Amino acid sequence: MTDSNAYDIEEVRRKYIGFETATARGRYPVEYDAIRRHCLMVDDNNPLFLDPEYAKTTSHGEVLCPPSGWLALYFASLGPWPAVFEPLFPIVPTPGKRIVNMSQEVEWSARIKVGDHLSVKRRIADVFQKTVSLDPEAVWIVAEAVISNQRGETVCVIRNTMLTHRTPEEMEEGSRK
Amino acid sequence: MAGRSQPYWEDVAVDEEIEGLSLDITARRLVLQVSGSQDWYPVHFDAGFAKKGGHTDVFVNTGFLQAALVRVITDWMGDEGFLKKLRFEMRRQQRPGDTMVCKGKVVSKYERDGEGWVEVEVRAENEREGVTTPGTATVILPRRK
Repeated sequence: MTDSNAYDIEEVRRKYIGFETATARGRYPVEYDAIRRHCLMVDDNNPLFLDPEYAKTTSHGEVLCPPSGWLALYFASLGPWPAVFEPLFPIVPTPGKRIVNMSQEVEWSARIKVGDHLSVKRRIADVFQKTVSLDPEAVWIVAEAVISNQRGETVCVIRNTMLTHRTPEEMEEGSRK
Repeated sequence: MAGRSQPYWEDVAVDEEIEGLSLDITARRLVLQVSGSQDWYPVHFDAGFAKKGGHTDVFVNTGFLQAALVRVITDWMGDEGFLKKLRFEMRRQQRPGDTMVCKGKVVSKYERDGEGWVEVEVRAENEREGVTTPGTATVILPRRK
């Protein structure tokens, strides 16, 4: 945890807004079983996402990945093992390490099929402090992820806004310093 | 398996309700959530961790909410529909004991470059909080020849 008393949001903004990761390629191609588990969690029985025989009868010819930015990022983020970076945690230093996702926007340019091989490039679009009930010094991070396929085509752009906050115990500790 | 029904842009009406789905947030559902999203952040399954962070209880994660809202759209738009854009906000939480209901409503339709575009409002709600996760989706539907 970064000491909140020494935390300089302007310095963090200068250093991290616009920061980009190198493009990372998923370890595995898009595969059936991760899609099946993803569908199972919300009782999604869509045969286009689950049944290769059915998918062959459609214009797509192969099982599609549901158009969830989360799932696209999952396939693109499973890089070298152990992971080079933790895809779900922020790169930006913050006083608190607790995270709450606040909004997400995903814009699609192409469908993803089983067998595609995805990559991701991430960029920090904004960092700011804004009070929330959980923490008056919460730090908000807006991050973009561009997901591309094995042909270099962008399949989707994900824009995610999360806040990071301290626990009540950490805030109490910080106020005693 | 027989082909699924396919809506066409010409047949969609503004104010048309999209039926959606309902899911009970149970302990089993939280396990399915972790398996299906591969999100290991404990605030979504460990009540002690969640409470230490200032939350009332665990709450479902973004991947789960997104999968449910995407299902509202993909169940409706058929195999040839294309989800162009989805935006949603996590304003309130879906917690154990809640029944999460996800729905949609067509709010506008228009042509763009010869394609049939539809704007849809989507939302997740529960009895405890009302609308927890409002959102919007842009869908491209096939056109009748």
